[in-house]
Amino acid sequence: MKIEQAKIITNKKIARNIWKMEMLASNISKEVQGPGQFINILVDESWDISLRRPMSIAGINQDKITIIYKVLGRGTKRLVTKLRDDILNILGPIGNVFNQDMFNNHHPILIGGGIGMAPILWLHNVMNERRVQHELIIGAKSKSDHFLKHQPSRKIYLTTDDGTLGIKGTVIRVLQQIVNQLYKPMIIACGPIEMLKVIQTFSIDNNVPGQMALESYMACGLGICQGCVVELTHIRQEKHSFGERYSLVCCDGPVYDISRVRF
Amino acid sequence: MANLKVFIGGVEFNNPVFVASGTFGYGNDVSELVDVNQLGAIITKSITLHPREGNPPPRIVETPSGMLNSIGLANIGVDQFIKEMIPYYASLETKVIVNIAGSSMEEYLNVLEKVEKVGEHICGYEINVSCPNVEKGGMEFGVDSLMTRNLTELLRKRTEKLLILKLSPNVTNITDIAKGAKEGGADAISAINTVVGMSIDISSRKSNLATKFGGLSGPAIKPIGIANVHKLSSAIQIPIIGIGGITSAEDVVEYLLAGATAVQIGTANFRDPGIGLKIIAELDAYCDSNGYYDISELTGALVNDS
Repeated sequence: MKIEQAKIITNKKIARNIWKMEMLASNISKEVQGPGQFINILVDESWDISLRRPMSIAGINQDKITIIYKVLGRGTKRLVTKLRDDILNILGPIGNVFNQDMFNNHHPILIGGGIGMAPILWLHNVMNERRVQHELIIGAKSKSDHFLKHQPSRKIYLTTDDGTLGIKGTVIRVLQQIVNQLYKPMIIACGPIEMLKVIQTFSIDNNVPGQMALESYMACGLGICQGCVVELTHIRQEKHSFGERYSLVCCDGPVYDISRVRF
Repeated sequence: MANLKVFIGGVEFNNPVFVASGTFGYGNDVSELVDVNQLGAIITKSITLHPREGNPPPRIVETPSGMLNSIGLANIGVDQFIKEMIPYYASLETKVIVNIAGSSMEEYLNVLEKVEKVGEHICGYEINVSCPNVEKGGMEFGVDSLMTRNLTELLRKRTEKLLILKLSPNVTNITDIAKGAKEGGADAISAINTVVGMSIDISSRKSNLATKFGGLSGPAIKPIGIANVHKLSSAIQIPIIGIGGITSAEDVVEYLLAGATAVQIGTANFRDPGIGLKIIAELDAYCDSNGYYDISELTGALVNDS
Protein backbone atom coordinates (compact mmCIF):
# COMPACT_ATOMS: atom_id res chain seq x y z
CA MET A 1 0.00 0.00 0.00
CA LYS A 2 1.27 3.47 -0.88
CA ILE A 3 0.27 7.10 -0.90
CA GLU A 4 0.81 8.66 -4.28
CA GLN A 5 0.23 11.97 -6.03
CA ALA A 6 -1.69 10.69 -9.05
CA LYS A 7 -1.95 12.79 -12.19
CA ILE A 8 -5.36 12.91 -13.86
CA ILE A 9 -5.36 11.96 -17.54
CA THR A 10 -9.09 12.06 -18.28
CA ASN A 11 -12.22 12.78 -16.24
CA LYS A 12 -15.43 12.60 -18.25
CA LYS A 13 -19.13 11.90 -17.98
CA ILE A 14 -20.19 8.56 -19.46
CA ALA A 15 -23.85 8.35 -18.36
CA ARG A 16 -26.30 10.27 -16.21
CA ASN A 17 -24.32 11.27 -13.09
CA ILE A 18 -21.69 8.66 -13.87
CA TRP A 19 -18.11 9.70 -14.54
CA LYS A 20 -14.97 7.87 -15.52
CA MET A 21 -11.54 9.04 -14.44
CA GLU A 22 -8.19 7.73 -15.58
CA MET A 23 -5.10 8.70 -13.63
CA LEU A 24 -1.39 8.04 -13.77
CA ALA A 25 -0.25 6.29 -10.58
CA SER A 26 2.84 4.27 -11.40
CA ASN A 27 3.62 3.10 -7.85
CA ILE A 28 0.16 2.06 -6.75
CA SER A 29 -0.75 0.46 -10.08
CA LYS A 30 2.29 -1.84 -9.73
CA GLU A 31 0.89 -3.23 -6.48
CA VAL A 32 -2.67 -3.80 -7.65
CA GLN A 33 -3.65 -7.46 -7.50
CA GLY A 34 -7.02 -7.43 -9.25
CA PRO A 35 -10.75 -6.66 -9.30
CA GLY A 36 -12.21 -5.99 -5.86
CA GLN A 37 -9.43 -3.70 -4.71
CA PHE A 38 -9.96 0.02 -4.27
CA ILE A 39 -8.20 3.31 -3.66
CA ASN A 40 -8.96 5.96 -1.04
CA ILE A 41 -8.97 9.43 -2.58
CA LEU A 42 -8.30 12.74 -0.86
CA VAL A 43 -10.69 14.76 -3.02
CA ASP A 44 -9.84 18.07 -1.39
CA GLU A 45 -6.59 19.25 0.15
CA SER A 46 -8.54 21.56 2.45
CA TRP A 47 -10.75 20.29 5.28
CA ASP A 48 -13.83 21.39 3.40
CA ILE A 49 -14.19 17.65 2.79
CA SER A 50 -12.77 15.90 5.83
CA LEU A 51 -12.41 12.27 4.82
CA ARG A 52 -10.98 10.40 1.86
CA ARG A 53 -13.43 8.73 -0.51
CA PRO A 54 -13.03 5.00 -1.19
CA MET A 55 -13.49 4.14 -4.88
CA SER A 56 -13.34 0.75 -6.54
CA ILE A 57 -10.73 0.33 -9.19
CA ALA A 58 -12.51 -0.19 -12.53
CA GLY A 59 -9.42 -1.05 -14.53
CA ILE A 60 -5.65 -0.98 -14.76
CA ASN A 61 -3.71 -0.18 -17.91
CA GLN A 62 0.01 -0.41 -17.23
CA ASP A 63 0.70 2.52 -14.88
CA LYS A 64 -2.79 3.98 -15.17
CA ILE A 65 -5.74 3.41 -12.85
CA THR A 66 -9.36 3.89 -13.90
CA ILE A 67 -12.26 4.57 -11.58
CA ILE A 68 -15.95 4.92 -12.42
CA TYR A 69 -17.94 6.96 -9.95
CA LYS A 70 -21.43 8.25 -9.42
CA VAL A 71 -21.94 11.90 -8.52
CA LEU A 72 -23.88 11.65 -5.30
CA GLY A 73 -22.54 13.88 -2.53
CA ARG A 74 -20.05 16.59 -1.74
CA GLY A 75 -16.99 14.42 -2.37
CA THR A 76 -17.97 13.24 -5.82
CA LYS A 77 -19.25 16.72 -6.75
CA ARG A 78 -15.74 17.96 -6.01
CA LEU A 79 -14.23 15.11 -8.00
CA VAL A 80 -16.03 16.11 -11.22
CA THR A 81 -14.32 19.50 -11.10
CA LYS A 82 -10.89 17.89 -11.48
CA LEU A 83 -9.21 18.44 -14.82
CA ARG A 84 -6.49 16.82 -16.88
CA ASP A 85 -3.06 17.21 -15.20
CA ASP A 86 -4.64 17.97 -11.80
CA ILE A 87 -3.00 16.04 -8.97
CA LEU A 88 -4.99 13.76 -6.69
CA ASN A 89 -3.59 12.29 -3.45
CA ILE A 90 -4.56 8.62 -3.45
CA LEU A 91 -3.92 5.72 -1.07
CA GLY A 92 -3.92 2.16 -2.32
CA PRO A 93 -4.30 -0.47 -3.45
CA ILE A 94 -6.57 -1.46 -0.56
CA GLY A 95 -8.41 -4.67 0.19
CA ASN A 96 -8.74 -8.18 -1.16
CA VAL A 97 -9.79 -9.45 -4.60
CA PHE A 98 -12.53 -11.67 -5.98
CA ASN A 99 -11.33 -15.22 -5.48
CA GLN A 100 -10.71 -16.32 -9.02
CA ASP A 101 -9.90 -19.95 -8.13
CA MET A 102 -13.63 -20.53 -7.94
CA PHE A 103 -14.01 -19.59 -11.59
CA ASN A 104 -12.17 -22.72 -12.70
CA ASN A 105 -15.01 -25.07 -11.86
CA HIS A 106 -17.96 -22.71 -11.76
CA HIS A 107 -19.79 -20.57 -14.30
CA PRO A 108 -19.61 -16.97 -13.05
CA ILE A 109 -22.58 -14.64 -13.21
CA LEU A 110 -21.31 -11.09 -12.68
CA ILE A 111 -23.90 -8.69 -11.28
CA GLY A 112 -23.40 -4.95 -10.90
CA GLY A 113 -25.99 -2.56 -9.57
CA GLY A 114 -25.65 1.20 -9.84
CA ILE A 115 -22.07 2.31 -9.28
CA GLY A 116 -21.29 -1.17 -7.94
CA MET A 117 -20.67 -1.95 -11.58
CA ALA A 118 -17.11 -0.55 -11.36
CA PRO A 119 -15.23 -3.63 -10.06
CA ILE A 120 -17.67 -5.90 -11.91
CA LEU A 121 -16.81 -4.32 -15.26
CA TRP A 122 -13.12 -4.74 -14.58
CA LEU A 123 -13.65 -8.40 -13.74
CA HIS A 124 -15.74 -8.74 -16.92
CA ASN A 125 -12.85 -7.33 -18.96
CA VAL A 126 -10.32 -9.58 -17.23
CA MET A 127 -12.49 -12.62 -17.94
CA ASN A 128 -12.87 -11.63 -21.58
CA GLU A 129 -9.09 -11.36 -21.91
CA ARG A 130 -8.67 -14.78 -20.34
CA ARG A 131 -11.60 -16.22 -22.32
CA VAL A 132 -13.50 -17.21 -19.19
CA GLN A 133 -17.14 -17.95 -20.09
CA HIS A 134 -19.42 -15.78 -17.95
CA GLU A 135 -22.66 -13.80 -17.80
CA LEU A 136 -22.83 -10.07 -17.05
CA ILE A 137 -25.92 -8.40 -15.58
CA ILE A 138 -25.95 -4.66 -14.94
CA GLY A 139 -28.94 -3.04 -13.30
CA ALA A 140 -29.96 0.62 -13.11
CA LYS A 141 -33.02 2.80 -12.78
CA SER A 142 -33.30 3.96 -16.36
CA LYS A 143 -31.72 4.00 -19.83
CA SER A 144 -29.74 7.18 -19.13
CA ASP A 145 -27.89 5.43 -16.26
CA HIS A 146 -26.40 2.84 -18.61
CA PHE A 147 -23.43 3.14 -20.92
CA LEU A 148 -23.11 -0.47 -22.12
CA LYS A 149 -25.23 -2.19 -24.81
CA HIS A 150 -27.85 -4.78 -23.96
CA GLN A 151 -26.51 -7.83 -25.86
CA PRO A 152 -28.10 -11.09 -24.65
CA SER A 153 -26.36 -12.97 -27.50
CA ARG A 154 -23.02 -11.95 -25.90
CA LYS A 155 -24.31 -12.73 -22.42
CA ILE A 156 -24.56 -9.05 -21.46
CA TYR A 157 -27.91 -8.25 -19.89
CA LEU A 158 -28.94 -4.74 -18.89
CA THR A 159 -31.96 -4.09 -16.72
CA THR A 160 -33.90 -0.92 -15.97
CA ASP A 161 -36.54 -0.33 -13.35
CA ASP A 162 -38.66 1.61 -15.84
CA GLY A 163 -38.11 -0.68 -18.86
CA THR A 164 -36.50 2.03 -21.01
CA LEU A 165 -33.56 -0.25 -21.86
CA GLY A 166 -32.93 -3.99 -21.82
CA ILE A 167 -35.06 -6.05 -19.49
CA LYS A 168 -37.63 -4.30 -17.30
CA GLY A 169 -37.13 -5.11 -13.63
CA THR A 170 -34.16 -5.74 -11.39
CA VAL A 171 -31.06 -7.87 -11.86
CA ILE A 172 -32.77 -10.66 -9.89
CA ARG A 173 -35.23 -11.17 -12.73
CA VAL A 174 -32.41 -11.98 -15.16
CA LEU A 175 -30.61 -14.05 -12.56
CA GLN A 176 -33.72 -16.20 -12.06
CA GLN A 177 -34.05 -16.69 -15.82
CA ILE A 178 -30.49 -17.70 -16.61
CA VAL A 179 -29.34 -19.53 -13.50
CA ASN A 180 -31.06 -22.83 -14.32
CA GLN A 181 -29.51 -22.96 -17.77
CA LEU A 182 -25.99 -22.88 -16.37
CA TYR A 183 -23.84 -25.72 -15.06
CA LYS A 184 -22.49 -24.97 -11.59
CA PRO A 185 -23.32 -21.25 -11.54
CA MET A 186 -21.76 -18.84 -9.07
CA ILE A 187 -22.54 -15.20 -8.34
CA ILE A 188 -20.14 -12.26 -8.18
CA ALA A 189 -21.96 -9.12 -7.11
CA CYS A 190 -21.41 -5.51 -6.16
CA GLY A 191 -24.05 -2.85 -5.72
CA PRO A 192 -26.47 -1.23 -3.32
CA ILE A 193 -27.24 -3.01 -0.05
CA GLU A 194 -30.88 -3.62 -1.04
CA MET A 195 -29.71 -5.47 -4.16
CA LEU A 196 -27.10 -7.45 -2.26
CA LYS A 197 -29.66 -8.52 0.34
CA VAL A 198 -31.94 -9.95 -2.36
CA ILE A 199 -28.98 -11.66 -4.05
CA GLN A 200 -27.91 -13.16 -0.75
CA THR A 201 -31.38 -14.62 -0.18
CA PHE A 202 -31.41 -15.98 -3.73
CA SER A 203 -27.94 -17.45 -3.30
CA ILE A 204 -28.85 -19.25 -0.09
CA ASP A 205 -32.33 -20.41 -1.24
CA ASN A 206 -31.02 -21.76 -4.52
CA ASN A 207 -27.73 -23.05 -3.21
CA VAL A 208 -25.73 -20.93 -5.64
CA PRO A 209 -22.40 -19.91 -4.06
CA GLY A 210 -20.75 -16.59 -4.62
CA GLN A 211 -18.88 -13.53 -3.49
CA MET A 212 -19.79 -9.90 -3.11
CA ALA A 213 -17.85 -6.68 -2.72
CA LEU A 214 -19.21 -4.31 -0.07
CA GLU A 215 -19.18 -0.59 0.38
CA SER A 216 -18.78 1.02 3.78
CA TYR A 217 -18.31 4.38 5.43
CA MET A 218 -14.60 4.61 5.92
CA ALA A 219 -12.07 7.06 7.29
CA CYS A 220 -8.54 5.77 6.85
CA GLY A 221 -8.48 2.68 4.61
CA LEU A 222 -5.51 1.46 6.65
CA GLY A 223 -7.17 -0.56 9.39
CA ILE A 224 -6.42 2.04 12.04
CA CYS A 225 -9.74 3.83 12.50
CA GLN A 226 -11.81 0.62 12.89
CA GLY A 227 -14.71 2.52 11.37
CA CYS A 228 -15.71 0.47 8.32
CA VAL A 229 -16.87 -2.78 9.88
CA VAL A 230 -19.46 -5.18 8.51
CA GLU A 231 -21.13 -7.83 10.65
CA LEU A 232 -20.49 -11.46 9.70
CA THR A 233 -22.54 -14.57 10.34
CA HIS A 234 -19.97 -17.34 9.92
CA ILE A 235 -17.69 -16.37 12.70
CA ARG A 236 -13.95 -16.55 12.58
CA GLN A 237 -11.20 -14.20 13.67
CA GLU A 238 -10.35 -11.78 10.90
CA LYS A 239 -6.82 -10.54 10.56
CA HIS A 240 -7.52 -6.86 11.12
CA SER A 241 -10.70 -6.98 13.16
CA PHE A 242 -10.85 -7.30 16.92
CA GLY A 243 -13.24 -9.88 18.25
CA GLU A 244 -15.15 -12.19 15.99
CA ARG A 245 -18.38 -10.53 15.01
CA TYR A 246 -17.12 -7.67 12.87
CA SER A 247 -14.79 -7.51 9.92
CA LEU A 248 -12.97 -4.46 8.58
CA VAL A 249 -14.15 -3.85 5.02
CA CYS A 250 -10.90 -2.00 4.20
CA CYS A 251 -8.38 -4.67 5.19
CA ASP A 252 -10.33 -7.94 5.53
CA GLY A 253 -12.77 -7.11 2.68
CA PRO A 254 -14.25 -5.66 0.59
CA VAL A 255 -14.90 -9.08 -0.99
CA TYR A 256 -16.78 -11.61 1.15
CA ASP A 257 -18.43 -14.95 0.63
CA ILE A 258 -22.10 -14.09 0.02
CA SER A 259 -23.33 -16.30 2.85
CA ARG A 260 -21.05 -14.71 5.47
CA VAL A 261 -22.42 -11.17 5.54
CA ARG A 262 -25.14 -10.21 7.99
CA PHE A 263 -27.05 -7.18 6.69
CA MET B 1 17.59 23.61 13.74
CA ALA B 2 15.72 24.52 16.89
CA ASN B 3 15.70 22.26 19.91
CA LEU B 4 12.38 20.43 19.70
CA LYS B 5 12.95 18.21 22.74
CA VAL B 6 10.34 18.34 25.47
CA PHE B 7 10.18 16.82 28.96
CA ILE B 8 7.11 15.36 30.60
CA GLY B 9 7.38 13.77 34.03
CA GLY B 10 11.11 13.37 33.64
CA VAL B 11 10.83 11.61 30.29
CA GLU B 12 12.55 13.22 27.33
CA PHE B 13 10.76 13.23 23.97
CA ASN B 14 12.57 14.10 20.74
CA ASN B 15 9.77 16.45 19.74
CA PRO B 16 6.33 17.47 21.00
CA VAL B 17 4.37 15.83 18.17
CA PHE B 18 2.66 12.61 19.29
CA VAL B 19 -0.10 10.60 17.60
CA ALA B 20 -3.38 10.25 19.46
CA SER B 21 -4.89 7.02 20.70
CA GLY B 22 -7.25 5.41 18.21
CA THR B 23 -5.91 7.32 15.23
CA PHE B 24 -2.74 5.33 14.60
CA GLY B 25 -3.74 1.76 15.51
CA TYR B 26 -0.87 0.16 17.36
CA GLY B 27 1.63 1.82 15.03
CA ASN B 28 2.50 -1.33 13.11
CA ASP B 29 -0.14 -0.94 10.36
CA VAL B 30 1.20 2.50 9.54
CA SER B 31 4.89 1.68 9.65
CA GLU B 32 5.01 0.46 6.03
CA LEU B 33 3.90 3.95 4.93
CA VAL B 34 5.55 6.19 7.51
CA ASP B 35 8.83 6.30 9.46
CA VAL B 36 7.11 6.20 12.84
CA ASN B 37 10.45 6.59 14.65
CA GLN B 38 10.46 10.28 13.82
CA LEU B 39 7.36 10.88 15.94
CA GLY B 40 7.70 12.26 19.44
CA ALA B 41 5.60 9.38 20.72
CA ILE B 42 2.95 6.88 19.67
CA ILE B 43 -0.08 6.55 21.92
CA THR B 44 -1.61 3.13 21.29
CA LYS B 45 -5.25 2.40 20.67
CA SER B 46 -7.04 1.91 24.00
CA ILE B 47 -6.34 -1.48 25.56
CA THR B 48 -8.85 -3.23 27.78
CA LEU B 49 -8.53 -6.38 29.89
CA HIS B 50 -10.48 -8.50 27.40
CA PRO B 51 -10.76 -8.09 23.61
CA ARG B 52 -13.62 -5.84 22.56
CA GLU B 53 -15.43 -6.20 19.25
CA GLY B 54 -16.69 -2.61 19.34
CA ASN B 55 -19.99 -1.01 18.42
CA PRO B 56 -22.32 -2.00 15.55
CA PRO B 57 -21.91 -0.12 12.24
CA PRO B 58 -22.22 2.54 11.00
CA ARG B 59 -19.45 3.76 13.29
CA ILE B 60 -18.31 6.90 11.52
CA VAL B 61 -19.77 9.81 9.64
CA GLU B 62 -18.19 12.88 8.10
CA THR B 63 -19.19 16.24 9.53
CA PRO B 64 -18.11 19.80 8.68
CA SER B 65 -14.33 20.04 9.26
CA GLY B 66 -14.31 16.76 11.12
CA MET B 67 -16.02 13.49 11.79
CA LEU B 68 -18.09 11.66 14.38
CA ASN B 69 -16.97 8.24 15.51
CA SER B 70 -18.47 5.57 17.69
CA ILE B 71 -15.94 2.76 17.49
CA GLY B 72 -16.60 1.55 21.01
CA LEU B 73 -13.02 0.75 22.08
CA ALA B 74 -12.62 -2.18 19.65
CA ASN B 75 -9.25 -3.66 20.60
CA ILE B 76 -7.32 -6.92 20.84
CA GLY B 77 -7.24 -7.06 24.63
CA VAL B 78 -4.17 -6.81 26.82
CA ASP B 79 -2.93 -10.42 26.51
CA GLN B 80 -2.81 -10.41 22.71
CA PHE B 81 -1.43 -6.87 22.84
CA ILE B 82 1.47 -8.04 24.99
CA LYS B 83 2.13 -11.06 22.79
CA GLU B 84 2.02 -9.26 19.45
CA MET B 85 2.89 -5.64 20.07
CA ILE B 86 5.45 -5.53 22.88
CA PRO B 87 8.13 -7.24 20.73
CA TYR B 88 7.37 -4.75 17.95
CA TYR B 89 7.73 -1.82 20.35
CA ALA B 90 11.11 -3.17 21.44
CA SER B 91 12.26 -2.61 17.84
CA LEU B 92 11.12 1.02 17.77
CA GLU B 93 13.22 4.03 18.65
CA THR B 94 10.28 6.31 19.32
CA LYS B 95 8.55 6.41 22.70
CA VAL B 96 5.42 4.32 23.13
CA ILE B 97 2.64 5.23 25.56
CA VAL B 98 -0.01 2.60 26.21
CA ASN B 99 -3.55 3.92 26.42
CA ILE B 100 -5.68 1.98 28.91
CA ALA B 101 -9.47 1.92 29.17
CA GLY B 102 -11.63 0.07 31.66
CA SER B 103 -15.03 -0.20 33.21
CA SER B 104 -13.80 -0.56 36.79
CA MET B 105 -10.79 0.40 38.91
CA GLU B 106 -9.73 -3.26 38.88
CA GLU B 107 -9.77 -3.43 35.10
CA TYR B 108 -7.50 -0.41 34.72
CA LEU B 109 -5.22 -1.82 37.37
CA ASN B 110 -5.11 -5.33 35.86
CA VAL B 111 -4.22 -4.00 32.41
CA LEU B 112 -1.54 -1.70 33.81
CA GLU B 113 0.01 -4.47 35.92
CA LYS B 114 0.13 -6.87 32.98
CA VAL B 115 1.85 -4.34 30.74
CA GLU B 116 4.11 -3.21 33.59
CA LYS B 117 5.57 -6.72 33.92
CA VAL B 118 6.79 -6.88 30.32
CA GLY B 119 6.85 -3.27 29.27
CA GLU B 120 10.45 -2.21 29.61
CA HIS B 121 10.12 -0.49 26.21
CA ILE B 122 6.92 1.28 27.19
CA CYS B 123 7.55 4.78 28.49
CA GLY B 124 4.20 5.28 30.19
CA TYR B 125 0.45 5.06 30.29
CA GLU B 126 -2.34 7.30 29.17
CA ILE B 127 -5.46 6.54 31.17
CA ASN B 128 -8.64 6.98 29.15
CA VAL B 129 -11.31 8.21 31.53
CA SER B 130 -13.13 9.99 28.75
CA CYS B 131 -14.45 7.68 26.01
CA PRO B 132 -17.95 8.91 25.13
CA ASN B 133 -18.87 5.83 23.09
CA VAL B 134 -19.23 3.00 25.58
CA GLU B 135 -21.60 2.60 28.48
CA LYS B 136 -18.78 1.80 30.82
CA GLY B 137 -15.52 3.13 29.43
CA GLY B 138 -14.20 5.30 32.11
CA MET B 139 -16.49 8.27 31.62
CA GLU B 140 -17.91 7.69 35.09
CA PHE B 141 -14.39 8.31 36.36
CA GLY B 142 -13.70 11.20 34.02
CA VAL B 143 -16.70 13.23 35.15
CA ASP B 144 -15.93 12.86 38.85
CA SER B 145 -12.93 14.53 40.45
CA LEU B 146 -12.76 12.21 43.45
CA MET B 147 -13.05 9.04 41.38
CA THR B 148 -10.36 10.34 39.04
CA ARG B 149 -8.14 11.00 42.03
CA ASN B 150 -8.75 7.55 43.51
CA LEU B 151 -8.09 5.81 40.20
CA THR B 152 -4.92 7.82 39.60
CA GLU B 153 -3.68 7.07 43.13
CA LEU B 154 -4.28 3.36 42.70
CA LEU B 155 -2.35 3.26 39.42
CA ARG B 156 0.40 5.57 40.70
CA LYS B 157 1.26 3.03 43.40
CA ARG B 158 1.89 0.35 40.74
CA THR B 159 4.08 2.20 38.29
CA GLU B 160 6.94 4.63 38.23
CA LYS B 161 6.48 5.17 34.53
CA LEU B 162 4.83 8.22 33.06
CA LEU B 163 1.16 8.39 34.11
CA ILE B 164 -1.08 10.61 32.01
CA LEU B 165 -4.83 11.09 32.46
CA LYS B 166 -6.80 11.77 29.27
CA LEU B 167 -9.77 14.01 30.01
CA SER B 168 -13.09 14.75 28.41
CA PRO B 169 -14.41 18.21 27.53
CA ASN B 170 -17.95 16.89 28.20
CA VAL B 171 -17.86 17.95 31.86
CA THR B 172 -18.95 20.94 33.88
CA ASN B 173 -15.45 21.88 34.94
CA ILE B 174 -12.43 20.13 33.42
CA THR B 175 -9.99 21.75 35.85
CA ASP B 176 -11.70 20.05 38.82
CA ILE B 177 -11.13 16.67 37.22
CA ALA B 178 -7.55 17.59 36.38
CA LYS B 179 -6.89 18.63 39.98
CA GLY B 180 -8.13 15.20 41.07
CA ALA B 181 -5.69 13.58 38.66
CA LYS B 182 -2.82 15.76 39.88
CA GLU B 183 -3.57 15.03 43.53
CA GLY B 184 -3.64 11.33 42.68
CA GLY B 185 -0.14 11.62 41.32
CA ALA B 186 -0.57 12.05 37.55
CA ASP B 187 2.48 13.33 35.69
CA ALA B 188 0.47 15.02 32.96
CA ILE B 189 -2.98 15.62 31.48
CA SER B 190 -4.03 14.91 27.89
CA ALA B 191 -6.92 17.05 26.70
CA ILE B 192 -9.25 16.85 25.00
CA ASN B 193 -10.97 13.60 24.09
CA THR B 194 -13.80 13.88 21.55
CA VAL B 195 -16.83 16.09 22.03
CA VAL B 196 -20.22 14.35 22.14
CA GLY B 197 -22.09 14.95 18.90
CA MET B 198 -24.84 13.65 16.65
CA SER B 199 -25.79 13.79 13.00
CA ILE B 200 -29.08 12.76 11.36
CA ASP B 201 -29.89 11.46 7.89
CA ILE B 202 -32.96 13.53 7.08
CA SER B 203 -34.26 11.13 4.43
CA SER B 204 -34.32 8.09 6.72
CA ARG B 205 -34.79 10.24 9.85
CA LYS B 206 -32.21 8.05 11.57
CA SER B 207 -29.00 8.96 13.32
CA ASN B 208 -25.99 8.45 11.05
CA LEU B 209 -24.39 6.33 13.81
CA ALA B 210 -25.79 3.05 15.11
CA THR B 211 -25.19 4.22 18.68
CA LYS B 212 -26.95 7.52 17.94
CA PHE B 213 -24.27 9.68 19.60
CA GLY B 214 -20.60 9.76 18.77
CA GLY B 215 -17.42 11.66 19.45
CA LEU B 216 -16.67 14.71 17.32
CA SER B 217 -13.07 15.22 16.25
CA GLY B 218 -11.09 17.15 13.66
CA PRO B 219 -10.51 20.89 13.12
CA ALA B 220 -14.14 21.53 14.16
CA ILE B 221 -13.12 21.03 17.81
CA LYS B 222 -9.78 22.85 17.76
CA PRO B 223 -11.04 26.00 19.54
CA ILE B 224 -12.57 23.78 22.24
CA GLY B 225 -9.24 22.02 22.68
CA ILE B 226 -7.31 25.28 22.85
CA ALA B 227 -9.71 26.73 25.44
CA ASN B 228 -9.54 23.63 27.63
CA VAL B 229 -5.76 23.43 27.44
CA HIS B 230 -5.51 27.06 28.44
CA LYS B 231 -7.91 26.60 31.37
CA LEU B 232 -5.95 23.55 32.52
CA SER B 233 -2.52 25.11 32.21
CA SER B 234 -3.69 28.14 34.14
CA ALA B 235 -5.11 25.97 36.94
CA ILE B 236 -2.63 23.13 37.47
CA GLN B 237 1.12 22.91 37.45
CA ILE B 238 1.70 19.67 35.55
CA PRO B 239 2.35 19.41 31.79
CA ILE B 240 -0.64 19.42 29.44
CA ILE B 241 -0.66 17.45 26.19
CA GLY B 242 -2.97 19.28 23.80
CA ILE B 243 -5.32 17.36 21.49
CA GLY B 244 -8.05 18.44 19.13
CA GLY B 245 -8.07 19.29 15.43
CA ILE B 246 -4.36 19.72 14.81
CA THR B 247 -3.49 19.66 11.11
CA SER B 248 -0.44 21.95 10.86
CA ALA B 249 2.57 23.35 12.70
CA GLU B 250 0.63 26.57 13.23
CA ASP B 251 -2.00 24.58 15.12
CA VAL B 252 0.74 23.07 17.28
CA VAL B 253 2.12 26.52 18.05
CA GLU B 254 -1.36 27.67 19.02
CA TYR B 255 -1.67 24.78 21.50
CA LEU B 256 1.79 25.48 22.91
CA LEU B 257 0.95 29.17 23.40
CA ALA B 258 -2.24 28.12 25.19
CA GLY B 259 -0.04 26.20 27.61
CA ALA B 260 0.57 22.73 26.17
CA THR B 261 3.98 21.08 26.52
CA ALA B 262 3.29 18.60 23.72
CA VAL B 263 0.43 17.75 21.37
CA GLN B 264 -1.24 14.77 19.76
CA ILE B 265 -2.35 14.53 16.13
CA GLY B 266 -5.64 12.68 15.82
CA THR B 267 -8.15 12.71 12.98
CA ALA B 268 -5.64 14.21 10.53
CA ASN B 269 -3.86 10.82 10.56
CA PHE B 270 -6.86 9.33 8.77
CA ARG B 271 -6.36 11.71 5.86
CA ASP B 272 -2.60 11.38 5.86
CA PRO B 273 -0.76 9.03 8.24
CA GLY B 274 2.43 10.95 7.41
CA ILE B 275 1.03 14.29 8.63
CA GLY B 276 2.90 14.05 11.96
CA LEU B 277 6.27 13.95 10.19
CA LYS B 278 5.36 16.90 8.00
CA ILE B 279 4.28 18.89 11.05
CA ILE B 280 7.58 18.15 12.85
CA ALA B 281 9.53 19.50 9.87
CA GLU B 282 7.26 22.55 9.64
CA LEU B 283 7.58 23.17 13.36
CA ASP B 284 11.36 23.19 13.09
CA ALA B 285 11.16 25.68 10.21
CA TYR B 286 8.68 27.80 12.16
CA CYS B 287 11.04 28.04 15.14
CA ASP B 288 13.97 28.93 12.89
CA SER B 289 12.15 31.65 11.01
CA ASN B 290 10.63 33.12 14.19
CA GLY B 291 13.78 33.11 16.27
CA TYR B 292 12.93 30.40 18.79
CA TYR B 293 15.92 28.28 19.79
CA ASP B 294 13.92 25.96 21.99
CA ILE B 295 10.36 24.82 21.41
CA SER B 296 9.67 25.10 25.12
CA GLU B 297 9.91 28.90 24.81
CA LEU B 298 6.47 28.74 23.23
CA THR B 299 4.72 26.84 26.00
CA GLY B 300 2.36 29.16 27.85
CA ALA B 301 3.74 32.21 26.04
CA LEU B 302 0.27 33.58 25.43
CA VAL B 303 0.18 37.35 25.76
CA ASN B 304 -2.53 38.48 28.16
CA ASP B 305 -3.50 42.05 27.40
CA SER B 306 -6.28 42.29 29.91
